[in-house]
Amino acid sequence: MNIIEIRNLKKNYALGKTTVYALRGIDLAIEKGDLISIVGPSGSGKTTLLNVIGCIDNATEGSVKVSDREITKLNDRQITDMRLHHIGFIFQTFNLIPVLNALENVEFPLLLMKKQSKNEIRKRAEKLIDEVGLRDYLKHRPAELSGGQRQRVAIARALVTNPDIVLADEPTANLDSVTGEQILNLMKDMNRIEQTTFIFSTHDANVLKYANSVVKIRDGLIVKEA
Amino acid sequence: MDFLFTISLRNLFRQRRRSILLGTAIMFGTAILVLANAFAHGISEVLFNEIVSYVAGHVSVSFTKGGNANNQIFHDGDRIRAIIKERVPSVKRVDEAIGVFARAIGNGKADNVVMVGMDPSGEGVDEKEMEKYAKAFTFINGSFDNLGDSTIENPVGLSVEKAKALNVKYGDVMRVRYTDIHGQTQAARLTVATIYKPSNVFMSVPIFFHVKTVRRLLGYGPHDVPQLYLIIDNPKRDAKRFADSLHAGLKPPLAVIDGDLSFRSETIATTLLCLRTDSASLACADSGLRLISQTANDSANRKKSVIVSSAFAAATGMKPGDTCSVAFEGKFDSSRATVRLIVTAIADTGAGIDGNVVLVNEKDFYKAFYDTWPKSTAAGTGPFRPDTTNGIYKALGGEWLLVPRSSTTKDMMKLYREIAQKGWRAIVVDVGSMYETASMVLNLEYALNLITFICVMLLFFIILIGVINTLRMTIRERTREIGTVRAIGMQRVDVRNSFLIETGLLALISAVVGTIVAFAAMWGLSRLTFKAGENPLGMLLVDGHLFFAPTAGAIVFFVVLIVGIAVVTAYFPARRAAKLSAADALRHFE
Repeated sequence: MNIIEIRNLKKNYALGKTTVYALRGIDLAIEKGDLISIVGPSGSGKTTLLNVIGCIDNATEGSVKVSDREITKLNDRQITDMRLHHIGFIFQTFNLIPVLNALENVEFPLLLMKKQSKNEIRKRAEKLIDEVGLRDYLKHRPAELSGGQRQRVAIARALVTNPDIVLADEPTANLDSVTGEQILNLMKDMNRIEQTTFIFSTHDANVLKYANSVVKIRDGLIVKEA
Repeated sequence: MDFLFTISLRNLFRQRRRSILLGTAIMFGTAILVLANAFAHGISEVLFNEIVSYVAGHVSVSFTKGGNANNQIFHDGDRIRAIIKERVPSVKRVDEAIGVFARAIGNGKADNVVMVGMDPSGEGVDEKEMEKYAKAFTFINGSFDNLGDSTIENPVGLSVEKAKALNVKYGDVMRVRYTDIHGQTQAARLTVATIYKPSNVFMSVPIFFHVKTVRRLLGYGPHDVPQLYLIIDNPKRDAKRFADSLHAGLKPPLAVIDGDLSFRSETIATTLLCLRTDSASLACADSGLRLISQTANDSANRKKSVIVSSAFAAATGMKPGDTCSVAFEGKFDSSRATVRLIVTAIADTGAGIDGNVVLVNEKDFYKAFYDTWPKSTAAGTGPFRPDTTNGIYKALGGEWLLVPRSSTTKDMMKLYREIAQKGWRAIVVDVGSMYETASMVLNLEYALNLITFICVMLLFFIILIGVINTLRMTIRERTREIGTVRAIGMQRVDVRNSFLIETGLLALISAVVGTIVAFAAMWGLSRLTFKAGENPLGMLLVDGHLFFAPTAGAIVFFVVLIVGIAVVTAYFPARRAAKLSAADALRHFE
């Protein structure tokens, strides 16, 4: 069963007077529970593709279905809800909220959902923090954590809402090789434990071995799927 | 909402220096606003409590006889006091207020003075008021007890300044020249029985007598009352209400004089009624009476003129030009008074005055009425009582003339000018509360508040530019964070609200601190002692100290206003932040 179906996706940016054709007609289908890596050189359109799939950027043309919903036709409120309930994000620069501690950062998406009690939210967040191995750092603020620890918090935050898809944009780019490997192992474990679809972008060939399949992209077009 | 509040509060403390700078500016503005408002309100409190209540009472009933504002007298004082007791049962005290301009002659020096009657040990003066008196007067020689000493000839109390101006000492005899209530110039010898140092400039001008002394000097009879000041327990709450109630109770009854009319050898029981001489009443009389011989105006303007009905004229044989006399019994005096009258007009029968009745022109009627207050009343039985539904009734005069309540000092002054111009013969009765008497004081407070408000709003305008700039910088710095929270799933409205809460919290905390600072400043300033001396500004001081009267309502208003302005100012930058595209915000790098 496909969790993502993309047909003829095009995305253009206006850059001053010129138009940048970031995606030129992408067709892609990703199955539920898969762990996909999108690889390609800088400027190939990896991040743009992830942003469109993640509903944080809109398509110029084409169709994008995420969890059976055509996201190109949603308004801002619906698309924000889509991100909250169906998608988790892991950023290259971690993007934790600096005024919240590790536990609060993980609780944050659940608080936005306003569905569970404070106790339930706390339990779920602690479970995720435990799974990413940061039980001893619950009350630490991002500035008091290492890069790897911050990325673990980000992974816990991405998974806490039990999303259909987790999108990770070069999650190891700002980490040393050992920590990067730990993070990728963690993502693989989470993919297995939580049965969540993981899509991560990278231009690091060593990272590819962690993916179940690889999508190669160049100049806004998929050049190979394996 | 909880987590939005938490994030906003933490963000506020995250940018500590910026928040402190902006917060200090807001705090400073709030402190000035609260301080200035408390000072303005303090001035009005002082003017009200320390001056207006002394000068005008909480509720006042004033009487103007013959259109002369200096002729403050009402001849049936017991009746007025009974109405006050009935309408304002909780009245604490009713003071007689007498103040007359006079010329005082001391030892080779003369000066203008105001003769004021007082009774500091009178009924209803409580300890608190005694304390106020003690604070208002520092005695150098003697005390106010001397003013009531019957062994001293006309004892009088003078301020140090006045004693110096008249070159008199304690125990000296001085003279005073004044006009009594009958309009006659009088002179009296006074003994300086006390000299005091006043607490404010207002107290240095009058010379004080015991109210009994000044009543005697001015010629008030035992049943006469001057202007009355009512002192009540809760003037702020009750003054207006009591004044309204008293005004309703002072509606004048029809003035009637029942007496015996003597014409030739016959004596007939007759009622005298007053025909008012204002143009509206005369027009009413002309159309209603159908005068046979002349107009009501002609009749009214002739001395001793009266109108009788043709039936009464036929019964008595009176015709225009005849003179008759009416003797009647006084209320306070057993002897009978007699008034001579000349018949000037005969009214057609069927005009509503058919009977033993004589319509007397206003001037002569009230002279007779007030010279000897008659025993008869409209409520009692007599030879004639008019039908209240008859058109002529409107032209008949009451025992006094009650003027409508004034709402401001300006209206009140206009009314008194009108009274003087119209020359009404009836005693004009006016009821006022301290709010009308002192509406100018309230206007002063309003003006002071307005000036302060405008100044502080200018200050806030500058502060608000700071709020906008700070918020712009903050939003710029937090663009990636905005992108992150939007990507995670925070709605635009929540992003906007988080900035509004942050600004609102900053304004609220600053305003509260500003209020505390204002209170500290009030505490400090009110401890400074000023020597105002004869400076009129000294009246604004209480025991030589500045007086502040902050009000909870005003403080809450200012805090809400400041927070409101800050939030409204922050709204547009916050909305712009919320509208940022998540993708663009995430791509943002400083």
